Amino acid sequence: MPADMARFGFFVRWPVLALAMLHWLALGTPPAQAQAQPQALIEALAADDTDLGHFPAESTPRAVSLPDDWARTRPNLSTPLWYRLRFDATDPAGLLGLYLERACANVEVQLNGQRLHAAGRMSDPISLDCQHPLLLPLPAALLRSGSNTIDLRLSGYALRQVASHQRAGALAAPLIGPYAALSARDSRDELLAVTLPTVASALLLLTALLALVMARSRRHDSHLYYFAGLAAGWAVLTAQLWWHELPLSNYDSELLLACLPPLVALAAVQFLLHYAGWRSRPIEVALYAQCVAVPASLLLAGPLRVHTTANSWYLLLLLQMLAAMAFYLWTTWRTRRRDFWVMTTLLGVAAAMVGLELASRQIGLPSPWQHLPGLLMPLAFVTMGLHLVQQHGSEPPGSEAGRLSLGDRAREASAAMEKTYAEMVELRVEQVTHQERKRIAADLHDDLGAKLLTIVHTSDSERISTLAREALEEMRLSVRGLTGKSVKLIDALGDWRAEVVGRLSQTGVESEWSAPTEDLPQRLSARAYVQTTRILREAVSNIIKHSGASRCSIRCLIQNGDFQLAIQDNGSGIPLELDGQLDRGHGMASMKHRAKQLRGQCLVESGPGYGTVIRLTLPLEPQTPQA
Amino acid sequence: MKTILLLEDLPEIRAWLKTLVMQVFPDGQISEAARVHDAIELVSAIKFDLALVDLGLPDGSGVKVVEKLRETQSDCQSVVVTIHDDDEHLFPALQAGAFGYILKEQARELIIEQLQRMAQGEPPLSPSIARRVIAYFATQTKPQQPDLLPHVSLTDRESEVLLRVAKGYTLPEIGVQLGLSRHTIADYVKQIYRKLNVSSRAEAALEAQRLGLFRR
Repeated sequence: MPADMARFGFFVRWPVLALAMLHWLALGTPPAQAQAQPQALIEALAADDTDLGHFPAESTPRAVSLPDDWARTRPNLSTPLWYRLRFDATDPAGLLGLYLERACANVEVQLNGQRLHAAGRMSDPISLDCQHPLLLPLPAALLRSGSNTIDLRLSGYALRQVASHQRAGALAAPLIGPYAALSARDSRDELLAVTLPTVASALLLLTALLALVMARSRRHDSHLYYFAGLAAGWAVLTAQLWWHELPLSNYDSELLLACLPPLVALAAVQFLLHYAGWRSRPIEVALYAQCVAVPASLLLAGPLRVHTTANSWYLLLLLQMLAAMAFYLWTTWRTRRRDFWVMTTLLGVAAAMVGLELASRQIGLPSPWQHLPGLLMPLAFVTMGLHLVQQHGSEPPGSEAGRLSLGDRAREASAAMEKTYAEMVELRVEQVTHQERKRIAADLHDDLGAKLLTIVHTSDSERISTLAREALEEMRLSVRGLTGKSVKLIDALGDWRAEVVGRLSQTGVESEWSAPTEDLPQRLSARAYVQTTRILREAVSNIIKHSGASRCSIRCLIQNGDFQLAIQDNGSGIPLELDGQLDRGHGMASMKHRAKQLRGQCLVESGPGYGTVIRLTLPLEPQTPQA
Repeated sequence: MKTILLLEDLPEIRAWLKTLVMQVFPDGQISEAARVHDAIELVSAIKFDLALVDLGLPDGSGVKVVEKLRETQSDCQSVVVTIHDDDEHLFPALQAGAFGYILKEQARELIIEQLQRMAQGEPPLSPSIARRVIAYFATQTKPQQPDLLPHVSLTDRESEVLLRVAKGYTLPEIGVQLGLSRHTIADYVKQIYRKLNVSSRAEAALEAQRLGLFRR
């Protein structure tokens, strides 16, 4: 909250400063010259107009004091009224001026019977000149030394004919004095009453335009449209201050003008509701209906009840706006606490200004209060606009979540990329290793294999040839273990069967092979395949060379996730050592060692007359689904 | 009288092969070569009945010679004599049209027996080679462009023989299982090899054609 107050303060600081400067400029006028101070004429004789074109001296004038407010002194009359004022010209040498701060609606000025000022229409529709101060130079030629007469004919509307008190007939106390001093006063009043509100309205329109542009780019923020409408509506509403000439009669123009406040109220209520995130169709319909009802009711009420009807409606509209503000603040209190204090201040100011505006229309307010809404409301609007811009310049609430999920997704993506990279590196390493191995294999074949081969075929010794041959086969197996891929168990069984049965049948041993023949999913690593091949070869070689067996059976099965191989022959068995242990020769040790390397085991049972059984158990890899 | 080609780069081995061949075919006329280049020249000059071809030669692979023989002298039986027993090396040779293969380090008697058997029309077929052939023809089942080139596929019988060989049964066993003579089984194997060669050549020709199309 402090941050928001600071932000708010920042936004408010500059316009307030500017406004203060303007005020100082306006009010800090140079002191009037020591010569004659302007004197206010506060006593006048008033007489109703009889269309004579001059003050009807024949009728009995009555004394009135100025400033005169028709709403108080002649509430239901709207006929023009003559005022006669007298003053003494104190300094005929200097230029004197007549200053009328306010003459509503139109005034004709005569000096000593000579018409000095007449502009616009004096009958319905009267040229509305309510806000502009009037400064007239009093020509020395017309002035008499001594007492002078100023006649003013004021045309205006009765209060009941107009919606706003500001348009009802009224006359301020004229000031007579040196033209220069009055001129300064005139400028100041003009500034306050006309220029500043004009600027303020222009500012409002600009805010409305900006809000509209912003609304166009953010389709789901409908409250921005309403804000634009509200700002524009308020600008137009307060701009009616200076519409001089309206081609319509007063009643018609009042009707027209009466269409605006309900629209403004609609915009305000909708803005607040949408901004709070709550939409209600019935309320919308009611608001639109109201826009039609207000002018309709004025039409029904007739020209003489404009004031009461309009102001009752205004009161109702104000209540609606206050209700919408209260609702909005309640929602903000509950959901967006940060905004609460900022919005309370803003809305409070706005409500106060609307109240003031309404009061000045209803009952009329003294000058400073009257101008205050016109100055502060645009300020409130601009601040609100800035607040909206700032709020929507930063991300809308939805994208916070979007940003988070984006962050999550970015993290996921980078994790996936890292994983893929690691896999690629692994694959590459595998590839390189494989190529290395292939190169080693090729080298082995070319170099070592060739040499061994030469030994095989050129040696005179049978034993050496056999050894070299076995070495060559070993080399092949090793290469296979290095470079080979895993094999399907069923394929391995086929290979082993061909070799074992072929070798045994060649040497005249009866062989019986039983193994699963259906398609098994298990696989053997290249190393396991090679080692098992070696074990088998060793076993078969033993049978062929040493056992003297005539029959041999080989059984393979898969049990409990293990591969079990049993080779049994009916030979003479493995001879016992002296200490009762089996002869550790005949490759038993190497068989056991190989089995152990594969995390399995190799058991040998043997005895004379019993033959030999070699049982090999190897764990099979758990099955992962192969692509 | 048989004309025989010997292609082997190691001189001792070549000599040893020569003695072996002379033992099997006493009246054979043997031409020797140590390089692919020389062998090809001999092939263009002489008509051979039998060729014993090594795969790993200094100036290339003996498969080229096998191909050339198949192209120009289709009656010649080319036998690959190699140190490699894996299907990686043997399969291409078979695809090129080799009749069979012999592993170099085997004992003389075994080799002689194998040669004799081959002479009788019984080429060797190991389980791993059989698996390779099965896999190859499995990928050939889709008709490439039937109008352009002959589509080769195995008969059911041939497939059965292959499957059993892959399981590790010997040819006599298969004969017993299928109720056929060993000779018939051997014929099947020959057919299988021939079809492998034909299919491989067709595939190669198709590939060449496609490449030619690309190059155009």
